Amino acid sequence: MKNRYIKYFIVTVFGLAITFNACTDLEETVYSELIAEQFNPSEEDVMAVIGPVYSNLRDFMWGWHGFFCCQEECSDIIVTPVRPNGWDDGGVYRRMHKHIWTALQSHTNGLWARAYSGITNANRAIYQIESGNLPISQGKENYLAELKVARAFYYYILCDNFGNVPIVTRFDVEEGFLPEQSTRQQVYDFIVGEITGNLSLLSNDVDQSTYARFNLWAAKTLLAKIYLNAEVYTGKAEWDNCITQCNDIINSGAYNLEPVFSDIFKTENENSTEIIFAIPYDEIYTAGWPVFYIHLKTLHPASQATYNLEVSPWGGNCAIPQFIDTYDDDDSRLESTWIMGLQFASNGDTLRCNLSPEMMGKPLEYVNILQSVDLSGEHEGYRIGKYEFKMGALSGLSNDVPFFRYADVLMMKAECLLRKGDADAAAALVTQVRGRAFIDNPGKSTVTGAELQAGSSYNYGFYESGVVTEPEGGGDIQYGRFLDELGWEFAAEARRRQDLIRFGVFTTKMWLSHRPNGDYRTIFAIPEAQINTNPNLTQNPGY
Amino acid sequence: MYAQDRPITGTVKSSEDGRALPGVTVLQKGTSKGTVTDLNGNFSITVPEGATLVFSFVGLSTQEVPIGTSNVIDVILEPDYARLDEIVVIGYGTQKKADVTSSITTVKSDDFVKGAVKDAAQLIQGKVAGLSVTTPSGNPVSEAQIMLRGITSIYTDATPLILIDGVPGNLNTVAPENIESIDVLKDGSAAAIYGTRGTNGVILITTEKMQGIMPATIEYSAYTSTQTIAKKAEFLMADDYRRLIAQGEPLTDYGATTDWFDEITRTPVSHMHHLVLKGGNGKTNYIGSVNYKYSQGIFKNSDVNRINSRLDVNHSMFDGILSANINILGGSEKYWAGGDGYSFNTTIYRQALIRNPTDAIKDANGDWVEHPGVFQYENPVAWLKETDGENRNQNFRLSGSLTLNPISGLKTKLLLSTHYWNQTRGYSETKNHISNVRDGLNGYASRGSSSSIDNLLELTAEYNKAIDRHRFTLLGGYSYQDYVGENFWINNRDFPTDAFSYNNMDQGNGLLDGLAGMDSYKSSSKLIGFFGRVNYSYADRYLLMASVRREGSSKFGENNQWGTFPAVSVGWRISNEPFLQSLAFVDELKLRAGYGVTGTEPNDPYMSLTRLTYGNRILVDGEWIREIRPSSNPNPDLRWERKAETNIGLDFALFESRVSGTIDVYKRNTKDMLWNYQVPTPPYLYNSIIANVGEIENKGVEVLLQLVPVRTPNFDWISSFNYSTNSNKLVSLTNDKFQTTNDFFDTGYTGDPIQQSTHRVKIGGPIGDFYGYKSIDIDDSGIWIIEDVDGNPVTSNLKTTDDKKILGNGLPKHYASWNNTFRYKNFDLNITMRGAFGFQILNFQRMFYENPTINIRYNVLESAYDNVYGKNKLEDTQEYVSYYIEDGDYWKIDNIILGYTFNVDNVNFIDKARVYVSGLNMFTITGYKGVDPEVNRMGLSPGNDERDKYPTTRTYSFGINLTF
Repeated sequence: MKNRYIKYFIVTVFGLAITFNACTDLEETVYSELIAEQFNPSEEDVMAVIGPVYSNLRDFMWGWHGFFCCQEECSDIIVTPVRPNGWDDGGVYRRMHKHIWTALQSHTNGLWARAYSGITNANRAIYQIESGNLPISQGKENYLAELKVARAFYYYILCDNFGNVPIVTRFDVEEGFLPEQSTRQQVYDFIVGEITGNLSLLSNDVDQSTYARFNLWAAKTLLAKIYLNAEVYTGKAEWDNCITQCNDIINSGAYNLEPVFSDIFKTENENSTEIIFAIPYDEIYTAGWPVFYIHLKTLHPASQATYNLEVSPWGGNCAIPQFIDTYDDDDSRLESTWIMGLQFASNGDTLRCNLSPEMMGKPLEYVNILQSVDLSGEHEGYRIGKYEFKMGALSGLSNDVPFFRYADVLMMKAECLLRKGDADAAAALVTQVRGRAFIDNPGKSTVTGAELQAGSSYNYGFYESGVVTEPEGGGDIQYGRFLDELGWEFAAEARRRQDLIRFGVFTTKMWLSHRPNGDYRTIFAIPEAQINTNPNLTQNPGY
Repeated sequence: MYAQDRPITGTVKSSEDGRALPGVTVLQKGTSKGTVTDLNGNFSITVPEGATLVFSFVGLSTQEVPIGTSNVIDVILEPDYARLDEIVVIGYGTQKKADVTSSITTVKSDDFVKGAVKDAAQLIQGKVAGLSVTTPSGNPVSEAQIMLRGITSIYTDATPLILIDGVPGNLNTVAPENIESIDVLKDGSAAAIYGTRGTNGVILITTEKMQGIMPATIEYSAYTSTQTIAKKAEFLMADDYRRLIAQGEPLTDYGATTDWFDEITRTPVSHMHHLVLKGGNGKTNYIGSVNYKYSQGIFKNSDVNRINSRLDVNHSMFDGILSANINILGGSEKYWAGGDGYSFNTTIYRQALIRNPTDAIKDANGDWVEHPGVFQYENPVAWLKETDGENRNQNFRLSGSLTLNPISGLKTKLLLSTHYWNQTRGYSETKNHISNVRDGLNGYASRGSSSSIDNLLELTAEYNKAIDRHRFTLLGGYSYQDYVGENFWINNRDFPTDAFSYNNMDQGNGLLDGLAGMDSYKSSSKLIGFFGRVNYSYADRYLLMASVRREGSSKFGENNQWGTFPAVSVGWRISNEPFLQSLAFVDELKLRAGYGVTGTEPNDPYMSLTRLTYGNRILVDGEWIREIRPSSNPNPDLRWERKAETNIGLDFALFESRVSGTIDVYKRNTKDMLWNYQVPTPPYLYNSIIANVGEIENKGVEVLLQLVPVRTPNFDWISSFNYSTNSNKLVSLTNDKFQTTNDFFDTGYTGDPIQQSTHRVKIGGPIGDFYGYKSIDIDDSGIWIIEDVDGNPVTSNLKTTDDKKILGNGLPKHYASWNNTFRYKNFDLNITMRGAFGFQILNFQRMFYENPTINIRYNVLESAYDNVYGKNKLEDTQEYVSYYIEDGDYWKIDNIILGYTFNVDNVNFIDKARVYVSGLNMFTITGYKGVDPEVNRMGLSPGNDERDKYPTTRTYSFGINLTF
């Protein structure tokens, strides 16, 4: 009797266990994320879906070893020398300065990865719109045009820095798809085609609704930029095409020069009428790395007390003294761009050095001298002060980083005119840009065509501890004065590398501890990590 | 009672001390009829004429006695040194050690490392060949690190599956004092019954259980202990500073004399109390215990307070046909937190090491001395005093089982378990903390909580049958497990007062200013398995075990959730062959061979799914809106990582078990290895995807040798020796779909300001290779000379990444241990020694602080002013070079314990009394210059001895065990 119950018990328990659906049900329950298959975006989500294409720019520009550092560290204005508190990092900054980077350089790998992240996100958004997954009743073509231009912007970065890169325009590729590499000419043609083909679909509004997005004018500035550098990319100059684009922007009257230079870079600069395209940052809304941390990168730790910063700065990069020496004494951009001299706490106390034996306890004074990229004092080098450091700033600044601005349009046009032989017309535009820089001595803002055709005042040459030990000067640089003008206006705006290449200086001149190390270095090595994942990639020549 | 039945009575005693043995099982051979001895070792049983009685007791040799003419049988049981009759836990069942065909090591409580042990793993440190148990941290909160047979999985951690009485848990689920035995399933054929998570081996913890008749008994044990630092890092003291200043070094003398290390440390006192109440009759028994342990760390504030309680009740009814078990484990843990979710914050230790010893703790006004302008330089005593934090963990596990034996030999069991764990965290910094003095936070506080629920249902049926010389056991079962985990975290700042600490979070202004943080998350997963096993033995000579587990995990892609994990092992007990019977000195000789497949699932769920998240913000028409973006690259093809292992072993016992041992040789290959594989963007959205790529191979040998050199009534000496070696190789990192051009990846990180990776993992090479610049000399100006890629010397500023080389390996090639137990009359002495050989350590303390150029800001090691390579003082920047990589070989006299058992025969109320003194981590013989060569061996960057690792300590304990 008892046994029978027991048998029933066994049969029941096993039976229940096996017949219950739960017995083999392995469906996942997701609580804190959305499952793509179950999420149907509505028209309200359009900008949220497009969002990553733009938000990626923050990482692109100021992620660790980001675009800013990549374009400036290898050039003649900014350097990160070894400091008493570090900044060797296995030689990563020295390699940028000395042009001895390899395919393992983290700056260039980051640049590649971040640019393609923007491209892939654009491809994804385009796919979602075109496939109908993201329904848009009105203005579908306009969103697509904007996305294609934003994508072209990333390809422009790749074309400029790597030349020979794969062009991928589709998201729904088959499994195992590995992109094929294109030539720099093909990439250039693709970019020009994408932009010109979509211009008519872009908004020409210049207001909050198009701020930090590709409206018509941002696209035209991008196109002008590409034409300006076309000779570098393809061997064929496009000065007239560049001028046409610049003229359209100038004639639209949509943008102006800011009367006060530093206002372009102030904390709340989003209303500046000079900014054509910017990467917006906000200390609260975009908090969390990557943030805009230039104050941390450049300032001595003691300078925390000057700005009541929430985080101790790291005392890294600074100006190369030879460049500082090129400024006219009356050029207010020197003080608007660089932090120099004795430093004080917000309460007026003198800040003191504390990182190195030689300087211990002495007042902290940023001086325009550097020993070398291999060794430098804690106080050496002017610090980057172009972007306002708000009192009480957090890890990230709220300043938007201008990428294209109206002065650049004027200067692009001026450069094309100069190169076409119309130096006086170029000089008029340069004078216009210089106008706000010489408040105390307005006469000095005027520059002549003849001056623009002169060489550079940059005392190029190998430099050690305040002395140019192997001087070569800049007088022989064609339109060198114009290159100087670009430096004074656009220092620390993540573009010096491109300008130096266009003026033939990048791989020919010495500055600080840098010596030329091969013309092939006008484009970077395809990062090893990328070749590693895509065997279709061939390394750039020379590397 | 049949006519031929005879009542037999008698007493069972131990040969060791002649004392009566309660709880000895007395069985009529060939039947299930039996009894157990009572508290005085007496038994009575009625058996038929001609029967044989079998007396068995854990740890003692089983004895068979045929009944003769007398109705009284007194038996003396001898210790079983080779423990052939020992019961081994094999997963969903037990087996006699003699029948085991796979590689399993059992450690009984008698052999545990004793004294103030951290957790269950430390009990068996040095006791199991092939199981590396390291205690690299002196933090009382941290667990021991355990790794079995090398690194077999590179994506998930190498920690074995830990089961407490069959239910998954961790090293702290039960107090070490509750543990009766630990079985380690080492090879694949043993672990495969657990299919998933069996790859790193399985550790089966068996808690103390009641058997048979025992009147209510109380046991009390306790110890108190203290610690000293095992070895102190020798940084400059104030006198050294003044001497150097006199010599012209530009250091700062602030005028005070402070021993910063002394200021943050103390002589810690810890104690443990363990109370057990147990008893029972033939049908119902119980054991309940409460364990309280308070441990202080060597650093001030660093502590842990644990209470573990346990109740285990068994009842058997219907003549043993149905039995039930209820087991309750409850525990709570509390410790000081020096940061969000931290225990002790090693920032405090680092700041004490690097702080100028001439600086004062407080200034004349009684304020903390701080130097806000100096980078990463904070008063460690202020850190200790101006932070407040507490983490509390609660742990509750309820499990129960019903066992039904409907017919002879058939046992069915239903096991249900639910395990709740939750953690509550609080942390705050005052307005006098550096976070306000320098960074202006004006008070900071955070709170957090995490919780998880694990449910388990297991249904098993086991059938035993013996027909003639054939014995077999069949097992079948089903297992269902689900897991839900969640967490929540908030922080705030800018508080009106310090008075609230973290207890009034809404008082901070940070939330209004957009400067407060908040975070929450929830996830779940499921694991379902079906399994079966057959054990077969013929004539006690030929043994076979075969098992299979079919298991599904929700973490994998829809079409790849299920995996099959088979195992087979065979054994040949050569000693039972007739041709060996003539060799009387051979007690046991068994050859074993096994093959088994186990699996690994990733830690995180959902990785096969395309998930979307509201990510970063973008500025759209003046408003910051949330973007929607995929969380990661989904991999719908994600499937089990599979490890196949072959193990061949030999067990032997000779000369009445005076010499016994085990030798195992294994080879394990992990295929479909889970790894965060680098992929091109585009087409992928992110540059890595978790995928089943690659293969890793581990090979090794393990030897266990146990000797009984002396065995006399008054004096015993048991000596055991363990040796193991392991080598591993990354065989590949590609599969059909994912191909790499490069055959390596770099991993490990020095931290700032050096900012270099420390290790390289290369196809064809082992895990754990240090990879960096090889320093060979120093130039006249104190700059490193590096050996370049072609073998030529080059000054450090001209080095390129091509010059990096393999500089050593952080994983020991050889492990050895030697354990000795002596007993002289009532004294017992245990000495455990162990060592690791053939590996290197990257000494971070030297890399960062054996450099005089940073002395102006930070204190440095005394050795910083020594000449490098006997030539010059170092003048170079801090750098990762081979000069700081040292051989790590060491031999530790780890655990010494001396005990005395009182003779309490004349004391009525006490049954047993023992006192002992013990020392842990007593002596280290090594050439390594750092604090302790026993450093982290987990993960892909083993051998990195971090600069502020919580230093290891030497522990001295005094303890007492009483049974009433």
